[in-house]
Amino acid sequence: MEIVFITKPVTIEEKSLSIIEVKDLSYSYPNASVFALKNINLSIKPGEFIVLTGPSGCGKTTFCRCLNGLIPHFYNGVLTGDAIVSGLSIKDHKIVDLAKTVGMIFQNPDNQIFALTVEKDVAFGLENLGIPKKIMVDEIDWATKLTGIYHLKERGTHELSGGQKQRLTIASVLAMHPKIIVMDEPTSFLDPIGAETIFEVLDKLNKEQGITIILIEHRMDLAVKYADRIIIFDDGQIVNDGEPSEIFSAEETRLLGIGIPKILNLSKKLLQRGFNVNHPLNYENLYQLLIPKLQKVIPNKKISNLNEYDDFSGLHQNKPIITVEDVTFSYPSGVEALKNVSLTIHEGEYVAIMGENGAGKTTLVKHFNGLLKPKKGKILVNDIDVSKTSVAALAQKIGLVFQNPDDQLFAEDVKEEISFALRNFGYNESVINQRVEWALNLLDIKKYKDTSPFILSGGERKRVALASVLAWDPQVLVLDEPTIGQDYGQKEKLKHFLTQLCTQGKTVVIVTHDVEFVAESQPRVVLMAKGSIQADGSAKEIMSNSEALKMCSVSPPEITKLFQKLSSYGFPNDVLDVDEAVNIFTNHLKEIQK
Amino acid sequence: MSLLEGLRFTRGDSPLHRLDPRVKFLLTIVIFSSSLIFFEIIPLTIIFILQIPLMIIGKIWREWLKTLKGGLFLAVIIFSTNILSFYFFRGQHLSMDIIEFSLALTIRFLALITSFSVFFLTTSPDKLSLALEKIHIPYEFNFAFITAIRFVPVLAEEAQTIIDAQRSRGLELDKGNFLTRIRKYLPILLPLIINSIRRSLELAESMESRAFGATKNRTNLFELKLTNSDYFWLILMVFITFILIYVKLYLSPFPSLFGNSIIF
Repeated sequence: MEIVFITKPVTIEEKSLSIIEVKDLSYSYPNASVFALKNINLSIKPGEFIVLTGPSGCGKTTFCRCLNGLIPHFYNGVLTGDAIVSGLSIKDHKIVDLAKTVGMIFQNPDNQIFALTVEKDVAFGLENLGIPKKIMVDEIDWATKLTGIYHLKERGTHELSGGQKQRLTIASVLAMHPKIIVMDEPTSFLDPIGAETIFEVLDKLNKEQGITIILIEHRMDLAVKYADRIIIFDDGQIVNDGEPSEIFSAEETRLLGIGIPKILNLSKKLLQRGFNVNHPLNYENLYQLLIPKLQKVIPNKKISNLNEYDDFSGLHQNKPIITVEDVTFSYPSGVEALKNVSLTIHEGEYVAIMGENGAGKTTLVKHFNGLLKPKKGKILVNDIDVSKTSVAALAQKIGLVFQNPDDQLFAEDVKEEISFALRNFGYNESVINQRVEWALNLLDIKKYKDTSPFILSGGERKRVALASVLAWDPQVLVLDEPTIGQDYGQKEKLKHFLTQLCTQGKTVVIVTHDVEFVAESQPRVVLMAKGSIQADGSAKEIMSNSEALKMCSVSPPEITKLFQKLSSYGFPNDVLDVDEAVNIFTNHLKEIQK
Repeated sequence: MSLLEGLRFTRGDSPLHRLDPRVKFLLTIVIFSSSLIFFEIIPLTIIFILQIPLMIIGKIWREWLKTLKGGLFLAVIIFSTNILSFYFFRGQHLSMDIIEFSLALTIRFLALITSFSVFFLTTSPDKLSLALEKIHIPYEFNFAFITAIRFVPVLAEEAQTIIDAQRSRGLELDKGNFLTRIRKYLPILLPLIINSIRRSLELAESMESRAFGATKNRTNLFELKLTNSDYFWLILMVFITFILIYVKLYLSPFPSLFGNSIIF
């Protein structure tokens, strides 16, 4: 077999040729009545950094499966048209041939790591290709250095953090010297700093090695900084394709319910109000554009921050519902997951627990309904000691919704799924029916009443899981990572829903990595790192506390980053939201004109 | 379950960890068969005690003690069933030699699980896979076996999450009679099975994407090669085997420790 392993710089001649050419591609999965892809035509040039997005179920994952021949060789079904990837037709070439050109990385790193040590896993693809050991060792060094995990080479794969695992999966395909790397939502399980690191690595591979990057992503704020081109899928078709600034100023994009990056959204609104700032893609761009317009300001004058938002910290006067007193917990393996944690959550509060992967966030919320018992310290729910109460009794007061709906769905149909807990709690049949009906309506899933939960989409399954907890109307609702795998539209709905629950007097606790989600709903934020609470306060306080954020591997929202740069011009540094920012700038503009 | 727990590999570095898995397997076999050929308490105790330095060399004595603790229950059963059966077969007399013999068999059992600990506690699945490959087991089987080992902790964690999720929905596993309790495991088993199917599909996709099975001539990052220390252990083992055969043929039977006085 021929082994050519030198990364050549892409010549101009090659650049003009496309590396992926898709012609009239349509595909339907076996036993499916509708086409998952409809007549796709697309051409991608070498060295492009492309972000694919669109509402969930729009066909982006299916499209990516075509690129390395998983469709039609792993999934059969009906395929018409063709895709030529680096000169190879996906119809005529096997997955192994395409695998050398297209590195494919999936969402969950745990399902892609085969070996028990880092270097052995990076070697996996090379071993399969029959690369001699000598070359292999060099390739592993090269790939691990580029992805920044060289120092972890001899570590066990189970010892790695989420971000390190995802970098390992990149190194593993990188070692095979692909011309194209395709990734399906690589950052959804990662903390914000971990996610940024992944993008930095991809950017480096793109710029330095000339590798074409194709990425599926819902979180546009981060992706837009790196992407050259954005392709929007909807209902199995490409509905828009172009440069980020172009795409996000197009009206179709907004109508489709694609999240517009905060900075672009801000600049659009400023443009309407007379600030001439043209399509910046990141906060640094916008900063540069704004500076000349702000010169007239006296630096030391404080610009007031019009605070028209509900301050949830005002609710501290309410009576405490969950009190955590000096709790320490360690797992049987000896890992100390919580160290002297104290926290009080009041009735009607909206609390977000944030922090790095493995900080103990989920461990903490599992204490709220007694799934885990503290080793030291105590937890009171409504002034009752948790360690003296059964999980079932506590669960009636505290509804815990787990991150992955698939860890709980089991029933024949959605109705049955929702009534499961109600039956466990011993409600009588008429109450159960009433409650199920109520929950179905509340989450807008009534039409799936008699459908099996397993055939629903990811977002819908998540809603069923939420409904199955809400059905018994717990006093406190705890959600672990509610935004993972949700597209922009679903996230917007969830945001409104949670705020609504809160105004109705329900206590809501979320565990999340999603900074922008927090910035928009502005709950009280509890920051955790290494098993203890590092900071606790209003969203504004926490998001402008860059030191604490850094320690917990959280990066502030894009808007806040901008205002932190602007603070030397007298602007407040704790602005989180687009509308708030627009107000500040417009008032400022008026003042200048005076 | 703690008996199996003790057999789970944890990463470490010691002469025993570095030993070629094939040599180590031979070592286990030698210890294993040597404890099978003797019946008397003196040689079995010696074999058992001689393994203790191995635990210290391999820095696995802590895990080994855990295994012994897990095996204690079985050891007690072995000891008592032996005594009982001999008591009923030998004219209802309990004599010292019955106790000695039962004790010997119990020590043999402990020596056997110790010999397995030596192998499993110090051999990583990666190395095990190499050894399997060397003895020409097809890579596909080998890979399936190793992947199964790799995913045991992942599945255990997932099962725990599912149990937690269902308990949070009011499921009480420890309530009700036997039949209703079995039914209560349904909400745990179903998600576990469905997730496993989903996971295996994802694994397969990922394997395909990493060119699994691209060529028959698969290479390996690590090759097994016998080093000087491997040869040293090999020679030592041959030596020990000869001694054992000599002892068995010319020195046995061994004198009894406690005599054969009848207790009652």
